[in-house]
Amino acid sequence: MPFVACSTPLGTSGIAVVRLSGKNSFDVFKKITKTNAKPVHAVSKKYKVYDKKGDVFDEIVATAYLSPKTYTGENMVEISCHGNPVIISKILEICCSYGCTLAEPGEFTKTAFLNGKLDISEAEAVSDIIHAKSVEGVKLGIKNLGGGVSKRIKKIKASILSCLANIEFNLDISEEDLQPNLVKDSLSLVKRVHKKIEYIAKSFKSSSFLVSGASVVISGPPNAGKSTLFNRMVGSNRAIVTEIPGTTRDVVEKDILIDSIPINLKDTAGIRDSKDPVEKVGIKKSKEELVVADVVICLEEKPKKPKKNHIYVFNKIDLGPPSGEYDISISAKNGKNVEGLNKKISSALAVSKSGTEAQITTLRQLHLVLKAKKSLENARKHLSTDLSLELVAEELSQTISFLDMLTEKTTKDDVLDVVFSSFCVGK
Amino acid sequence: MKPHNKYDLVVVGGGHAGVEASLAAVNLGLKTLLVSMDEKSVGRTSCNPAIGGLAKGQMVKEVDVLGGVMGFFADQCTLQSKTLNKSKGRSVWSPRSQIDKLKYESVVQEYIKNSSLRVLGGEVVSVDIKNNTICGVFLRDNTKIPCSSVVLTCGTFLNGLIHIGEEQIKAGRYGEERSEGITECLISLGFSSGRLKTGTPPRIKKNTVDWGVGEAGYGDKNPKPLSYRTARFNPKDEPCYSFRTNEKTHSLILENLSSSAMYSGNVKSTGPRYCPSIEDKVYKFSKNPSHVLQLEPEWSNSEQIYVNGFSTSLSEDVQLKCLQTVKGLENVEFIRPGYAIEYDFFFPSQLKNTLESKEINGLFLAGQINGTSGYEEASAQGLLAGINSSMYVKNKNPLILKRSDAYMGVLIDDLILKDTNEPYRMFTSRAEYRLQLRSSNADQRLLQYSEDFNLLNKKTIDTLAKKIQHTKDVVDLLEKTSIKPKQINKTLKKMGESSIKESIKISSLIKRPTFFIKNVEQKILNVPKTITQNNFIDEIMFEAETIIKYSGYINRQQDEIDKIAVYEEKIIPNNFDYDIIKSLSNESREKFKKIRPQTIGQAGRIDGIRPSDISILLVYLKRSFHVKQKK
Ligand SMILES: Nc1nc2c(ncn2[C@@H]2O[C@H](COP(=O)(O)OP(=O)(O)O)[C@@H](O)[C@H]2O)c(=O)[nH]1
Ligand SMILES: [Mg+2]
Repeated sequence: MPFVACSTPLGTSGIAVVRLSGKNSFDVFKKITKTNAKPVHAVSKKYKVYDKKGDVFDEIVATAYLSPKTYTGENMVEISCHGNPVIISKILEICCSYGCTLAEPGEFTKTAFLNGKLDISEAEAVSDIIHAKSVEGVKLGIKNLGGGVSKRIKKIKASILSCLANIEFNLDISEEDLQPNLVKDSLSLVKRVHKKIEYIAKSFKSSSFLVSGASVVISGPPNAGKSTLFNRMVGSNRAIVTEIPGTTRDVVEKDILIDSIPINLKDTAGIRDSKDPVEKVGIKKSKEELVVADVVICLEEKPKKPKKNHIYVFNKIDLGPPSGEYDISISAKNGKNVEGLNKKISSALAVSKSGTEAQITTLRQLHLVLKAKKSLENARKHLSTDLSLELVAEELSQTISFLDMLTEKTTKDDVLDVVFSSFCVGK
Repeated sequence: MKPHNKYDLVVVGGGHAGVEASLAAVNLGLKTLLVSMDEKSVGRTSCNPAIGGLAKGQMVKEVDVLGGVMGFFADQCTLQSKTLNKSKGRSVWSPRSQIDKLKYESVVQEYIKNSSLRVLGGEVVSVDIKNNTICGVFLRDNTKIPCSSVVLTCGTFLNGLIHIGEEQIKAGRYGEERSEGITECLISLGFSSGRLKTGTPPRIKKNTVDWGVGEAGYGDKNPKPLSYRTARFNPKDEPCYSFRTNEKTHSLILENLSSSAMYSGNVKSTGPRYCPSIEDKVYKFSKNPSHVLQLEPEWSNSEQIYVNGFSTSLSEDVQLKCLQTVKGLENVEFIRPGYAIEYDFFFPSQLKNTLESKEINGLFLAGQINGTSGYEEASAQGLLAGINSSMYVKNKNPLILKRSDAYMGVLIDDLILKDTNEPYRMFTSRAEYRLQLRSSNADQRLLQYSEDFNLLNKKTIDTLAKKIQHTKDVVDLLEKTSIKPKQINKTLKKMGESSIKESIKISSLIKRPTFFIKNVEQKILNVPKTITQNNFIDEIMFEAETIIKYSGYINRQQDEIDKIAVYEEKIIPNNFDYDIIKSLSNESREKFKKIRPQTIGQAGRIDGIRPSDISILLVYLKRSFHVKQKK
């Protein structure tokens, strides 16, 4: 399977380069761009990138390099995309969804060396870079991996380890029949741990908005100017994804970027008492949207008890000044102060971002957590259907090894250590 | 005494490692001498009367396919044969045979008599070295035996010290002289050694046991031999009997703990945690109200009974008193007490993955001298040392097994990359590719090596090659043959399985956990006669079924194996200077310097080494390689 990484530093604007390397690079590239053309060496072309749902995500320029005349010596694709971290992350994520792995620090260089591609005089410089990158990576990893998550993952690992040790004792040492409660206990532990991992995986979405985007909803009484504001915000901000059409009076939404944060902006039906059954459905939907929204742009006066994630907006300032209290005054029609509203939205998101205690923040971390979760699910399946303990053990070891990449390494000896300290082994 | 002729190989020690090593070498045409302190003890099984067991049984099968003798000999003196773990997954099924120890010894010695192996009673005290290369060994009486290579398999004999309570006896095994000199010789050559401890339980008189109390355990109804070379296998089924310790036993042990050599501080070295003494079990696991004791006959109709589970270094009278608290053993009498033994071993990180010393050319070490425990571990190492000393003498490429090839590969790799502080025993969980390393597919994994290295006779190779081909054919058949709903749904319903809606391949049914080949009517699968007539037809069907059941996992592991394979071929020169690499962390550098991995693959498996260390190493290797070429 190919590996993929962004080879320009994150955070700088302009153009970023994402590189894929590996025998199957072109296969992955064909999938993400929905093209079938034969790659031609060193020729650049424009493509559209599609996400897994099949929606266009971004326009890119890509160049194929055919093995062996490439940096790594393997088939490579260089993708130039917009330098926005969100877009980069999303492209990496799409590649991973087709089986790419995220490159370890220094992996391109390593591969290049293995394939005899790098000038030997560069060796020292290159190894220094690998070292620096890994140190930086470790530092970043620790910084990025909130202390809360790190502790949680360690606890999860310890639980899995004890479960694995139990199973290994039965497979590896005890010649008797299985301990009577082994399967039942293991299953309940796996289920518990699975919940915890799921929670951590979710913390990524709720905290960083990098993958799914933040949900921002415009609400207010009919005719307040919600749709006008929606169009204004969509028009003045670059839309990433085409409109997802809803039915009449349903929620209309579009993905836009505000301050590098991908935002799923939603226009809602006005909320009022209505007898019209179709409108009723629309209103119900609006209410649901409000509950799950990260930020609500509310075209209403600030109530006595303002809600935390609401921004109270006075619209139609072009017609006259507000009476009553608001967070901001704008004109949706002529665009006055909409920029100010954007700022308020991004800072409101930043607040809710740092609010969660346990969070993972990089795509690599998410990737590993999700893989761990998948292995746990396989273990759970075996425990609840065929009772193949050796396969359960295999899946649990896998789970641990994915989590190891987030924290520190567990060895086979660690498993045996737990076995020996928990069980009286030997006849 | 007339001077000795030069030998290709001298094997020191006649235990399981020594026997395998010398017979492998003889098989490969080496002029070989086996030196044992007591000629009559060659092939002696010094501890329990059983061969195989969890993870070990898999190794015996591997040894067998690589031309080793342990399984073949054991089959000729089996008292009871059983596949352990049958209620668990197929990868952990492990064969084990209770054996007649006396018969085993005589089978070994008889076999040797009919081979070209020479045996000499004597004590090797040092090796003769010129230019860092073996050129002979010296015996106690100062005679020199010239030779091109040496395999040391000294077991527990090097400065062996037996503990029975307060009592200490210098011995290699109970009643056998210990060996002195080799440790000191190797240390003077720069080797570093350590000390380990192991133990053995008492042997009791058969007629002092109330057998009616014990619970009889028998072997399998349809026993299978350990060796593919065993033509006829019709073992007796002599039972073992289990008895149980009780609270009285435990409190007596705790009262007398101070009489135990391990608890009084007389034994300083570490013993194995997986084979604890009875005092350890009682002390550390005080919650267990009772422990099982398995009474095993040491030979057919044996007067001498092995008390499995009662390994101890308590004083003799305490041992006896404790054992007599066990129901059924009230009047038990000893033939000899249990004891702990301390012995020298050499840290195996000083060896290459061929078991040859990294420093002295032609010097190989195998068995307990490398810090392992167990007959099977010893046998596996002995075989590899025997093969590789032959390759050394013939100046040919050595046999190196990968972790994905065999437990034997895992064994060697673990030994040379980590320094054990307790005797190393094989466990299936040590193998990351456990699902691939089954006792049922040792032939598939290793036959190619046997062919390449000429380890088996042509007839056996042909038989096994045919078995493997037929297994593949059956797998193909299962993957190609479709089955219609009306052909199987009735059966599925009876089994409580969900029915099929349209024709599917039989293999997808086999992938269901509780569906087996036997559930498909023979005429549907239609296995060709050439295959059904194979003597191994049962094994073939079983293995084909297993391959399909595990295919998802096997493919995933194969991907991993392929991914890292390239690193196993990246050689690090023995004299590589780690100090020139400034960007390595100090900790990693020290580890590399100490262990001196032979390949990048090995380097990556050393505890605590990070992927970036490996990348850096690769870069420098490439560079130093080029620098050398330019010169
Ligand atoms: N003067 C003025 N009119 C506005 C402004 N925003 C919206 N309107 C008008 O108000 C009416 C209702 O707007 P609409 O966006 O459909 O409101 P909604 O029902 O909340 O979606 C339309 O006639 C808009 O042109 C504004 O900022 N200034
Ligand atoms: Mg509207």
